[in-house]
Amino acid sequence: MTAEVMKYTLQQVEDLELAPGFEHQKLEGWIPALASEDELRQALEKAFDYRGDVTLTLKSGERIEAFIFNRVSGATLVNSFVQYFTPSATDKRKVSYADIARLEFTGKDRAEGKHWEDWVKKYNEKKGAGEKNIALVPDVLE
Amino acid sequence: MAVPISQMWTVATYVLKKRLTGDKRYPLVLMLEPLFRCNLACAGCGKVQYPPHILKKQLSPAECFAAVEECGAPMVSLPGGEPLLHPQIVEIVNGLIARKKYIYLCTNALELKRRLPEFTPSKYLTFSVHLDGDREHHDFSVCREGGYDIAVEGIKEAVKRGFRVTTNATFFDGTDPNTVRGFFDEVMDMGVEGIVLSPGYSYDKAPDQTKFMGRARVRRLFRAILSNRKPTWKFNMSPLFLEFLMGDRKYECTPWGSPAYNIFGWQKPCYLLQDGYTETYKELIETTKWEEYGVASGNPKCANCMVSCGYEPTAVIEGFGSLKGFWGMVRGTFSSYKDAHALKLLNDSAPHGPAKLVQIAEPAHASMAETNQ
Repeated sequence: MTAEVMKYTLQQVEDLELAPGFEHQKLEGWIPALASEDELRQALEKAFDYRGDVTLTLKSGERIEAFIFNRVSGATLVNSFVQYFTPSATDKRKVSYADIARLEFTGKDRAEGKHWEDWVKKYNEKKGAGEKNIALVPDVLE
Repeated sequence: MAVPISQMWTVATYVLKKRLTGDKRYPLVLMLEPLFRCNLACAGCGKVQYPPHILKKQLSPAECFAAVEECGAPMVSLPGGEPLLHPQIVEIVNGLIARKKYIYLCTNALELKRRLPEFTPSKYLTFSVHLDGDREHHDFSVCREGGYDIAVEGIKEAVKRGFRVTTNATFFDGTDPNTVRGFFDEVMDMGVEGIVLSPGYSYDKAPDQTKFMGRARVRRLFRAILSNRKPTWKFNMSPLFLEFLMGDRKYECTPWGSPAYNIFGWQKPCYLLQDGYTETYKELIETTKWEEYGVASGNPKCANCMVSCGYEPTAVIEGFGSLKGFWGMVRGTFSSYKDAHALKLLNDSAPHGPAKLVQIAEPAHASMAETNQ
């Protein structure tokens, strides 16, 4: 169970007028210290939640650019692992927490950068300039 | 009645069989996401924010069929991303039809008209077209001017070709109930089979984090919208779920009722939350700590959720699982839900002058009194 669980009572939940929303954590560029087991586990939890690629450096020296989509936290680091896709391979891969020496949030955070206010501003400006077919477009798949 | 009898019969017998065999957790709708790629960039969506190499990945038809057979749900929803961007979507749909699964292909319809000739009408296939309101509202909601006109063109062509079509609307804070009711008239005039609707879920990855309604506001909004119904409106949803949205029923979430499968695997615990993945459906059911989710758990990520993928299974199971529930469903199907108080809410919230766009309107109308007392 996450630390957040049990934050609300049932009555509080039923009475909510506006959902509080989530604060976006800026992780792009972060290189967490992994000195202790706790630090490693917490950093990998954030990497699992991150919507960008990270770079893992293994204790063997191998560097892996990866999108981490799953983590399974076991009793020890050896039986805990992350699952990931790399940009060049098609198969799912996994690596044990115990093999990870360094973690860098190197990839662009894809959940950062497009805000509702930006869309409203852009829309009003373009509309004011008489433009048509105004739109936000998905990122180009380079 | 919007849902065909054959589909209701399939679901009803499935629920009864599961009850007789004592299954506690069983799926009703598989949320099969064949890809995350999309041709829109909606501000309320938290589904598509991934690096390009992830957006380029997609499930193969074989992987889709294996997931469908593994979980055994009688209905399959194909959301995404935009499923019509999948190069093998026709093969996937035809394979599901061959397996006699009732399919809801959820699409923004930007590609629908162009792709329609590749599909064959079937009682098993419904195009569920994302349409969040009238032209102005929809275009603003999906952050694309002209999106509504393209979608409507697709809807009309699909109806003309004999396909089952529903519209699928998500509502956020600031939605004007009068405008929505007018929108219902509009879509029924297009000849669709029925309307599907849901309050928005507060995805933690959605760009906009300020427009998600809490449960109290959801109940007020849906009471205003769904009371005093016009006889022409048809809903492709459980009447009991609509009563839940209106505040007439208290339900707990049934997250295993709509399990989600995508390129990462089986998603824990539901279509909306991503707390990890499993390789098999069995593992999903057996290893997910279900008690950590749903309103009663106090989990903040579930706090405002009243979304159909979690609560409609609860309503369907009640509807087909007991005589009382079945009677409630029959009554709900034919009721207009006359409610003088809700009518007053509508009159109070009627905009003076042209209606504002939903997402840039002020928060809920001050005079909208509590409706679920």
